[in-house]
Amino acid sequence: MNTADLEGSESGGRQVPVTATSDRRAAAPSAPRRTPPVASEPALVDNFREGVVVTDPTGVIREFSQPALTLMPGLVAGRTFAGCGVAPLTAGELTIGERRVRCRRVELTVAGATSIAWYVEDVTDAIARSDALLAERGRARFLATASQQLGNPLHEDRAARAAVRLAVPTLGDVAVVVLAPRRGRARWWRAGGGDGPTLVDGGVLSADDLPPAVAQALDGTEPSEADWLADQLAEAGWLGGRKPGAVAVRVVSLPGSAAPTGALVVVRDTDLDEHEVQMVRGFAARAGAALDAAVLYRDQAEVAETLQASLAPIEPPSVGGVQWGAAYRPAQSSLRIGGDFYGAHEQPDGGALFYLGDVSGKGVDAAVFTGQIRQGIQALRRIESDPARLLTLLNDSVLETSRAHGHGRFATMVLGRTHPTHGGGLSLTLASGGHLPPIVLRADGTVETVDLRGMLIGVVPDPRIATVTVQLAAGETCLLFSDGVTEARGGVRGEQFGFARLVAALEGCQRMPAPALAERIEQVIGDWLGGRNHDDIAVFAIRAVASGAPTRHLHAVPAP
Amino acid sequence: MTAVLDPSVETAYPRYLHCLDEADENGAIDVALSLLDSGVPAERVLLSLVAPAQAQVGEWWQRNEWSVAQEHAATHVSERVIAAVATAVRARPTRERVVVACLDGEWHALPARLVAEVLRLDGWDVTFLGASVPSVHLVSYLHRHDPRAVLLACALPMRLPHAFRAIEACRRTDVPVLVGGRGFGSDGRWATKLGVAFARDARAASSVLATPAFDAAPAPVSLDDTEYAGLVATRVELIDLALERLDLKRYSPAQVDATVADLGYIVDSLAAAVYVDDASLFGEFVGWLLEVLDSRGVPLHTVGLTFDVMADRLRDFPRAHRFLRGAAPRPAA
Repeated sequence: MNTADLEGSESGGRQVPVTATSDRRAAAPSAPRRTPPVASEPALVDNFREGVVVTDPTGVIREFSQPALTLMPGLVAGRTFAGCGVAPLTAGELTIGERRVRCRRVELTVAGATSIAWYVEDVTDAIARSDALLAERGRARFLATASQQLGNPLHEDRAARAAVRLAVPTLGDVAVVVLAPRRGRARWWRAGGGDGPTLVDGGVLSADDLPPAVAQALDGTEPSEADWLADQLAEAGWLGGRKPGAVAVRVVSLPGSAAPTGALVVVRDTDLDEHEVQMVRGFAARAGAALDAAVLYRDQAEVAETLQASLAPIEPPSVGGVQWGAAYRPAQSSLRIGGDFYGAHEQPDGGALFYLGDVSGKGVDAAVFTGQIRQGIQALRRIESDPARLLTLLNDSVLETSRAHGHGRFATMVLGRTHPTHGGGLSLTLASGGHLPPIVLRADGTVETVDLRGMLIGVVPDPRIATVTVQLAAGETCLLFSDGVTEARGGVRGEQFGFARLVAALEGCQRMPAPALAERIEQVIGDWLGGRNHDDIAVFAIRAVASGAPTRHLHAVPAP
Repeated sequence: MTAVLDPSVETAYPRYLHCLDEADENGAIDVALSLLDSGVPAERVLLSLVAPAQAQVGEWWQRNEWSVAQEHAATHVSERVIAAVATAVRARPTRERVVVACLDGEWHALPARLVAEVLRLDGWDVTFLGASVPSVHLVSYLHRHDPRAVLLACALPMRLPHAFRAIEACRRTDVPVLVGGRGFGSDGRWATKLGVAFARDARAASSVLATPAFDAAPAPVSLDDTEYAGLVATRVELIDLALERLDLKRYSPAQVDATVADLGYIVDSLAAAVYVDDASLFGEFVGWLLEVLDSRGVPLHTVGLTFDVMADRLRDFPRAHRFLRGAAPRPAA
């Protein structure tokens, strides 16, 4: 049943004199009709949606109704169809003139006499409507697919390429997306212009060289079709082998949140009807939104990267006699910054200052706080090189900032200084503000824990800072780490990794270079976690090496 | 497997292995750079010296002739050698940008690193993101830099289900994906199964990258992962069941951890085999595991026992049950 049926039945219901019929038949409501209704009730059949033509078995027309005559104007009673100049009817769908007709053939036998009734219905409008519905459905499906695929890439060029690839062939034979110019230059991407139908090419144009119609669309107004669009595009070289006179062109804006993000050009062999123009606009709206999101993402990512670069750990400087090794895995892996920090600075006397710590809190807030602490160390090390006194100064500074902002942040850290010793080793002076004690890996494979505790940094004035001196012979390593290592939850049912496992993981590692040692711990913890979430993880290894050999540091995940 | 094919490299090879053994970074770099100086192409130094030496190290570890710490140290030295060779050659990029990364949880970065450097020598503008790159980081990197393609390495077949998830995440950025590594099978058959382009080695990767639309319109993959999902949900229970049957009182804490880890690998490999519906994945893993355990003096009947316990629990998992039964180690004659 379609809308044509509904409309037809409605008008029939209004016009067919049903009440009249029942009035007339009221005396004998159950009496069977013995004669065909055509002659006796012309008004009734003339108001049926279907037309009726009754012929005798030889094909001579006996009667017909008004709708049948409307469809086949030549009908005359007493002649055959051919005799009236009308094509003979067959059951099924057929075309009469310009109309689509559905035809049924029914044999009527009344009182032994057989006649044939042809019921013909004009279904032209119904078919047109259902075609339109299918086309509409196709357009909706195309736009839905486009929305989905355009939403995926968050990069401007990739979104533009996806847009032109999607636009061909549904919207046109050639599609070009011109991105809004940036610093006077506009990038464009085209599909359907090259050899393969899906091959996408592109280029860059100066904003001054853009075809006027494209520039107009980039300004937010849709150029009218009469403005020699095809010639402009041919001049830009976008039509490929097509002749400007043989194509229809549309140029529309890709709307953005402020100004258009670009312009879409669609080229095809045939003109676009109103529905197709609407579809092009609908597609442009979606492509515009995708490009808008990509531009927004780019701008935010640029800001984030700048901030992130200023907060990410810096590669420790090369210092004679020291080999650094570091591993860093922040909890929020997309940001690559967190609340753990480490670093090293070369001191004027040839030694080095190094530290590893952990601030309260998580994520960006914590990362910003680590930045403040690192800058504090960076500044204070110029006036104070004793680790314990430096930590005390840092504590005052953190406390003051924290009170001023009322955020109550604090940190734990180990801060140390290296002094080269005569035997090619290092003497480490270590100070701790409430951080996990370091581990020392001796040349003979012994794993020692350094007894070092102290109080948190940034909680009370004049905290107790613990200090200790550790001697490293050449080839021995001191390891600082954050609680993300020992508190990593993994194994079968989320137990903590714990100190004992860390010690076990270090056994037999005394010959490893510092970077390999840090990486090994990162890997062991990674395996232990087995994909579970984790806190920030930081490891910093300080190894005494024979002086002179260049030593560098290796990140497991280098900054791009 | 570890044969050195190049005569110019042959004489340097034992010296290089010795440097790895000593964790002698500078010595190893000297060996590699002097080969470059004598005219050996950088690609050959990487593929005929560094790569086979690293494969040799892996074999020594597998046979328990080297500790895992030695292997780590040697890998580190190889990394430094690759970096030194790359710095010495300084290939200028003439082709598009490609990103090479090891998937999350994949720590064997060296093969991927070698591929990255060979691609760089081939003119590609390569960014190597390193070992165990979290998917979020990888995806945001792809969004940001719009590379020609991303090459994902997976060394362990048991990581395949995770790898596939990461591949799909990358594909959603619209960046073509190319995979490599033994995790996809030596012939890449599991990459084929997952409907993703595979390159056997660096050379192959370079030529695939030069193909215009190698990752265009991936065929939809229809994996029946209900059994896989069931296995993942049963993971802890399976490990517990196996542990109950082992005499843990005689194990040191480290041995208990190692056993738990091995049981986890067994379940993960079984799940991966079910995921790609291929018994050979589990079969190959079991062959490797038996060799590793045997060389470390672990009695192999415990593996058979474990398989029995798991198979018993997995009666309603037709594929897993069949794979366990098919892979059960036969008692040595």
